[in-house]
Amino acid sequence: MKAFAYVNAANEKEALAALGAERGKFLPLAGGMDLLALMKDYILQPDRLVNVKNLDATIAATPDGGFRIGAAVKVIDLAEHAGVSKAYPALVQAASEVGTPQIRNAGTLGGNINQRPRCWYFRNEEFDCLKKGGSRCFAVDGENQYHAIFGTGPCHIVHPSSLAVPILAYGGRFRIAGPSGERDVSAADFFVMPDKNLYGENVLAPNELVTHVILPAPRNARSATYEVRFKQSHDWPLAIVSAVLSMEGGAVRSATIVMGAVAPVPWRAAAAEAILAGGPVTEETATRAADAAVKDAKPMSENAYKVQVARTAVKRAILKAAGIAVA
Amino acid sequence: MPDRDQVPEVASPAKPVANASHQWPPQPDILGTRVKRLDGPLKTQGKAKYAYDIIRPGMLYGRILRSPHAHARVVSIDLSDVQKAPGVRAALAIIEPGKNPKFPGDKVLYQGDEVAAIAAATEEQAGDALRLIKVEYEVLPHLASIEQAMKPFAPVVFEGGNLKRGNVEEEGDLAAGFTAAALVVEATYSTQVQTHVCLEPHGCVCEWEGDKLTAWVSTQAVHGSREGFAQALGIPQTSVRVITEYMGGGFGSKFGPDLQGIVCAKLAKLANAPVKLMLDRKEEHLATGNRPSAAAKIKAGVAADGTLTAFDAETWGTGGAGAGSGFPLPYIYVFPHRRRHHTDVYINAGEQRAMRAPGHPQGCFITEVLMDEIADKLRMDPVEFRMKNLPPEAPNAMWRQYFPRAAEKFGWGRRHPSGDATPGPVKRGYGCAANRWGGGGRGSKAHCEIYPDGGVLMRCGTQDIGTGTRTLVAMVTAETFGLPLDAVNVEVGDSNHPFSGGSGGSTTAASVTPAIRVTADKALAALAAKVAPTLGVDAASIVASKGKIYAKDNPSKSLGWKEACRTLGTEPVSVDGEWEQGLSSSGSSGVQMAEVEVDIETGVTKVKRVTCVQDCGLILDPLTAESQVYGGIIMGIGFAMFENRILDRNTARMVNPNMEWYLLPGPSDIPQIEIVLVNQPDRGVIGLGEPPTVSTAAAVANAVANATGVRIRNLPITPDKILNALALEKSGGTL
Repeated sequence: MKAFAYVNAANEKEALAALGAERGKFLPLAGGMDLLALMKDYILQPDRLVNVKNLDATIAATPDGGFRIGAAVKVIDLAEHAGVSKAYPALVQAASEVGTPQIRNAGTLGGNINQRPRCWYFRNEEFDCLKKGGSRCFAVDGENQYHAIFGTGPCHIVHPSSLAVPILAYGGRFRIAGPSGERDVSAADFFVMPDKNLYGENVLAPNELVTHVILPAPRNARSATYEVRFKQSHDWPLAIVSAVLSMEGGAVRSATIVMGAVAPVPWRAAAAEAILAGGPVTEETATRAADAAVKDAKPMSENAYKVQVARTAVKRAILKAAGIAVA
Repeated sequence: MPDRDQVPEVASPAKPVANASHQWPPQPDILGTRVKRLDGPLKTQGKAKYAYDIIRPGMLYGRILRSPHAHARVVSIDLSDVQKAPGVRAALAIIEPGKNPKFPGDKVLYQGDEVAAIAAATEEQAGDALRLIKVEYEVLPHLASIEQAMKPFAPVVFEGGNLKRGNVEEEGDLAAGFTAAALVVEATYSTQVQTHVCLEPHGCVCEWEGDKLTAWVSTQAVHGSREGFAQALGIPQTSVRVITEYMGGGFGSKFGPDLQGIVCAKLAKLANAPVKLMLDRKEEHLATGNRPSAAAKIKAGVAADGTLTAFDAETWGTGGAGAGSGFPLPYIYVFPHRRRHHTDVYINAGEQRAMRAPGHPQGCFITEVLMDEIADKLRMDPVEFRMKNLPPEAPNAMWRQYFPRAAEKFGWGRRHPSGDATPGPVKRGYGCAANRWGGGGRGSKAHCEIYPDGGVLMRCGTQDIGTGTRTLVAMVTAETFGLPLDAVNVEVGDSNHPFSGGSGGSTTAASVTPAIRVTADKALAALAAKVAPTLGVDAASIVASKGKIYAKDNPSKSLGWKEACRTLGTEPVSVDGEWEQGLSSSGSSGVQMAEVEVDIETGVTKVKRVTCVQDCGLILDPLTAESQVYGGIIMGIGFAMFENRILDRNTARMVNPNMEWYLLPGPSDIPQIEIVLVNQPDRGVIGLGEPPTVSTAAAVANAVANATGVRIRNLPITPDKILNALALEKSGGTL
C-alpha cells in the first residue's frame, strides 16, 4: 500500500477543503471496507485520505413523512432502525444482507453507495482494463459469469451496491456537497453508465461528497427486496430486486421495479412496472412482469443463466412486496 | 503414475500382527474418552504462537516478486532502484537469466512464478519496494486451459510436449465385458482445480547464528524441512533447526521449506538479520499447490441384473506447469473387465501438490456419479445397485455393512426416484457415495524422561498441524503411566526432537501414537526396575494405574507415582523408543449420504444434511476424530459446490486469487452433519485425515440429480450449470 497523508476532518467543511478535483488523488475514507482493499491491491494509490466518519450520521424523519439519512450512518444502524424498517422494508431487507456482520458494523451507507465494482478484471492489478485507463474490457471474451446482462459497454461491470437498488426504487435522492455549495440529485440521475463515466460509476466529482440520502414518504406503498445469492454466507448477489408497489385498494396504482447486480447501474424495469399497474398482484402478473423485466437482456458468453436468476428475483420481489409467500 | 510431492497411501497390513510385544490397554481410562485439545485454550486466547506470530529482535520482512505473465523469458532483472528504497536491507534475484533453479532456461511458467525477492524493515516498505524491481520479460505463448493445450496446433510450451500419455491400464477382456452388458452408458465427467486455502499461509521466519540456521516454519514436516533447507543451502543438516510449535493447516501443501523458505534464509543471510517471509492469499492461490483437475470419458457396461461388466475410460487432467494429474479410477466398485488410459496435460498455471486424499475425491466423484446414472437407467435403488457391485468385505473394506447402516441413520428409505415431483421451485434429493483410504503407520521415534520429582516429559519430532497430535501424545503417555493428562509434559514440533515423518496421508496418529506407547512402556519398565526392590516384587509384575505403581498380582504392594519416582534418586529415567508393528494397521472405509435442496428457478443448491459412517481403526479420542470428519465434509462441500481456480482464458491469469470470488463454504453453508464413527479396537490406530473428504462431493452431486432430474457431470455445482441443464432438458436436448 502506498504511503498516504491522513486528514481527520471534523465536519463537512473541513472534509470538502481536504478533497481535490483530480481523480484518485484525495479520497474520502468512511468505514474503509472497500477503499482499504483497493489500496492494498494497488488499484487505487491516493496521496491523501480524508476521514468523513465525523459527518452527519443521523437518521431523521422529514416534515413530509420521509427520511433524511446521513451518509456516515453505519449499515447495521440502518438495518436496525425501527422507523426506517417500518417505512422502507425493502431498504432494511437489503441492508441486513450486506456483506458480513463485521462489514455491516463498520461499513457506512455512503460507502455502500459509492463502493467500486467487484469486477475481477478491475480488482486484479495485472489486468489493465478500461476502467483503469487500459484499452480493453477483458470480460467481453473472458470470464464474464458474474458480469452485466444489460447495457452495451464498453465496460461490463455490475453495480456493486445493494442499497442503491431500494433507494432508487423508493425514488430516493442524494444530497451532494461540493466546493461551490450543495446540490440535490435523484438516484435515477446519480448512477451513470460507462459510456457516460468510465472511471467512476456516478456523477459525483472527485471534490464532492454524498452527505445524505433523502427518501420520500412511502405513502401507500408495499415494498420488498429479494436477493438471490449462491453462498448463504458472505457472497455478492447474483441478482437483487426491489419492488415498490403503490396500492389503491387491492390494485397496484403504480410500481417501481429495480434490479441490481445485472447492469453497470441499478437497472429500472419499466416494462415490468407497466404490466403491474392497474391490477392486483398475482403469480400470473408477477411472472409476466418478470418476463418483461428481462426481455431486453443481452447476456454475455457465460452469463445467460443470470437472465433466469434476475427473472426469478423480479417475480419473487413483487410477490414478497404483495405479501405472497415465496421460496 | 507417481506425482511429485504426492503422499502415497501406506500399504501396511489391514490388521496388526498378532503376538506383538506392545498392546493397547484393553480397558483404558483415558484412551477412547472425549478429551478436548490441550492447546485449545492457548489458541482461543491467542497465546499459541504460529510461525506467522514469531517476532525476533531486529527482524525484517521479506516479499517475493512474482511473474505477472503466464509464460515469459526473463531478459533482465534490475535491483539497483529497490536497493535504495526506504527500509530495504537485502534484495536478490531468484531467476538469474540463464539460471532458473527449477527448470532449464530462464523462463517463468505461470503467473506467480518467483522472480526476485527483498527484505525490508517493515511489511509495508517491503510491499512498496517490491514494485521498484525492474524486470524485462519477453512474453511467450501460453496455455490457459486443457482445451488450449490439447488443440492440434497448440504451441508446444513444455519441453517434451504439452501432453504426457500414460500407459494403458487393462484387466480382463473388455470386449467380452461389453458383450455381456445389457446396458451401456457413456458420459464425460470432470472436476475442477481446487486450492488448499490453508488459514495460515506458507512461510517462515529464518534466523542465522553464524552458520547455524533456526527456522520457524509453517510446515507439516519439521524433519523434512530441515533436510530441505540443508540441501538447498548446501549446509549440514546439523546446522539447521526447524520449529513448528503450532500450525494453521497444510492439507498436503506444506512438506518442505519451499522456494520461499530458501529465499527467506538467503535474505536473512544477506541482511544479517532475522527475516519473516509469509505469503499472502494471492500467492497462496497461485503458487503453493492445488488439487489437479480430472476428467474422464467413460463407456461402462452393466448386465440386466445390475452386475457391472465393463469399464473403458480415456482420462486426463492438469496439474499445471509440468506436474501430474493422477487419480484412481474406477473407484471401489468391481468392474471385471476394464481399461483406462490417462494423459497428463500441462498448462501455464501453478503446479499441483498433494491435497487431502490426493486423487480420491476426483476418482470418487467420477465413479459414483456414473454409478447413479446406471442405477437410474436400470431403475434400481442406488444403494441396492452399489451393494451388488462392491468388493468382498474385509477389515479395510466394510461398505457392505456401512451402506445399510448409513441408510438407516439417514432415512434413505424416504428417497424418491430422480426428479422431485412435489410442486414448487424447491426440490429435495438424496445421494450417496463411498470412500476408502490407506493411512497407517511408519517409523516415528520418541524420547521419554521420568524425573525423581514425578515429572514426565514425552518428546517427539512430529508436529501438530491442527489435528490434535499433541493431545494424543499426552493421552497415550498418561494412559500408560496411569496418570492424569495434566501430569504429562509434551514437546513436539522441533527437528531437534527424535525423528518423526511428515504429517500427511492420514499417517500421523498411526505413526506417532505407537511410538509413544512403546517409549512409555519402556520408561515404565525402567521405573519398575528401580521400584521393584522397594516393593519387594518382581519388576516384570509391576503395573501403573490410577496414580499408583503396584504389583499386578498383589495390589497391596504399591507406591504412589511420586513416591515411586523418588526411588530414582538423582538419575531420571531417560529412554528412547520407536514405532513397532502391532499397534497400528492400514486401510479405512466409509459411506456418506447427503440431502440437498435445489431451487430450480435460481439454480442455487443448499446442502441440508450429511450423514457419515466412517471407520479408522482404534479411536483414541472421539473428539479429534469427529473434528477430522467435520473438516473433511466441509472441505468436500467446498469441492462440490464452490471452490474453483478460475483462469482467464486469454491470459492464463487467475481472476479469483482471493477469498471473495474463490468461494468457500461459510458458516451458513455448512449443513447438519451426523457422524457415526465405527471403532475397530482390534485393528489398532489407522488415521482419519483424508477419507471423510473423499465422498462428500459425489454424494452431493448425486443428491442434486435426485432432486432435479438433471445430472451435473462437472464440479463445482454452480447455479449456471443447474439452470443450463434444466433449460436444455426443457428444450428437449439431451444431456
